[in-house]
Amino acid sequence: MELEDIVIEGSHKNFFTPSVNFNAKTGICELSGESFLEDTAEFYKPLIDWLVEYTEKIKKPIAFIIKLTYFNTSTSRCILDLLNVLKDYEDEGGEVVVNWHYDENDSDMEEDIEDYMIDTGLKINIIPF
Amino acid sequence: MESAKETKHRTTDNIAISYTGVFDNEILSVLAKEIEGTLSSDDKVNKKVFKIFIELAQNISLYSLERDVTSGGDGMGVGTMIIRNFDTYYEFSTGNKTTKENIIPVMEKCDNINSMSREKLREYRRLQRNMPAGQKGGGNIGLIQVALTASNPIEYALVKCEDGNYFYIVSVRINKD
Repeated sequence: MELEDIVIEGSHKNFFTPSVNFNAKTGICELSGESFLEDTAEFYKPLIDWLVEYTEKIKKPIAFIIKLTYFNTSTSRCILDLLNVLKDYEDEGGEVVVNWHYDENDSDMEEDIEDYMIDTGLKINIIPF
Repeated sequence: MESAKETKHRTTDNIAISYTGVFDNEILSVLAKEIEGTLSSDDKVNKKVFKIFIELAQNISLYSLERDVTSGGDGMGVGTMIIRNFDTYYEFSTGNKTTKENIIPVMEKCDNINSMSREKLREYRRLQRNMPAGQKGGGNIGLIQVALTASNPIEYALVKCEDGNYFYIVSVRINKD
C-alpha cells in the first residue's frame, strides 16, 4: 500500500498546532509554525510512524525542513524522536538533509538546534531568517 | 539593606498582569495572548516571558493540590500568576498549593539548576530530553527550560497554610535588553 502524505494546517487557538507537510513522493517533509499541544505524543506519533515507514519501504532521499518558531518542552522530546529516526536512516545508508530555519534574533533557538546536533549526531543546516 | 519601602515596592507594586484561579486551557490561552501581544514592545522579551509562562502554568494545571473539578475527572489546578514590570527586568511568579513531600524534590531541583553554568544546564537538558516522558525525574525539563530562557536563577519560597499544606511560590527575572 502506498504511503499517504500527511498534511495538517497549523492553528493558533487555545493550543498551538504546527503545520505539517510530509510528502511521500518528493521526500520533502516540513514542520513549521508553533507547537504547544494538549496531547503532544498523540499528535507526533503518526508523524514518527510515517517517517519510519518511509525509511523502511520507500527508501528514497529525505529533506526534513523545520521552521518552528516556538515549541514547548514536551514537543522537544518528540522532535528528538523524529531526528533519531532520520539519524538511524542515515546510518543505514539513507540520504538525509535536515534544514532548520530560525529567527536570527532567537539565540535560544540556535542553542537548541546545536544541542539537537550533539544529541543525535545528525548534521543540521542552521539557517537564519 | 533593603528598606521596608523598597520591599513593598518590589513585592506589591508594578503589577503588569495578574491572575488567580483555575488554570484551565481557556485561561491559559487568554493569558498567553496577553503576554505575547501586550506585555512590552520588545517581542524578544515577550517571547521569553511567554515560554516561561507555558512551562510554569502547565505545572499549576497538572500539579496544584487545589483542584477545580467542575470540568470533571481530576480537574484543573488552581493557582496564581503575577508579572511585575521593573525598570530593567520583568519578574514572573507563580504560586500554588502543594504538600511538603511533593515540593521538597522540586526545590532541590531548583537549587541544582541554579548551581549550574549555562553550558552545564544545556547538557542537563539534553540528558533529561533523552529520558522517556513521564519517567520519574523527567519533569525536570520544564524548570531547566525556564532557567535557560530567563538566564537568571529560579527563586522559590514556601508559605505554610493553616491546613498544614504549603503555598509554593516560584519566581524568575527576565532582563530587558
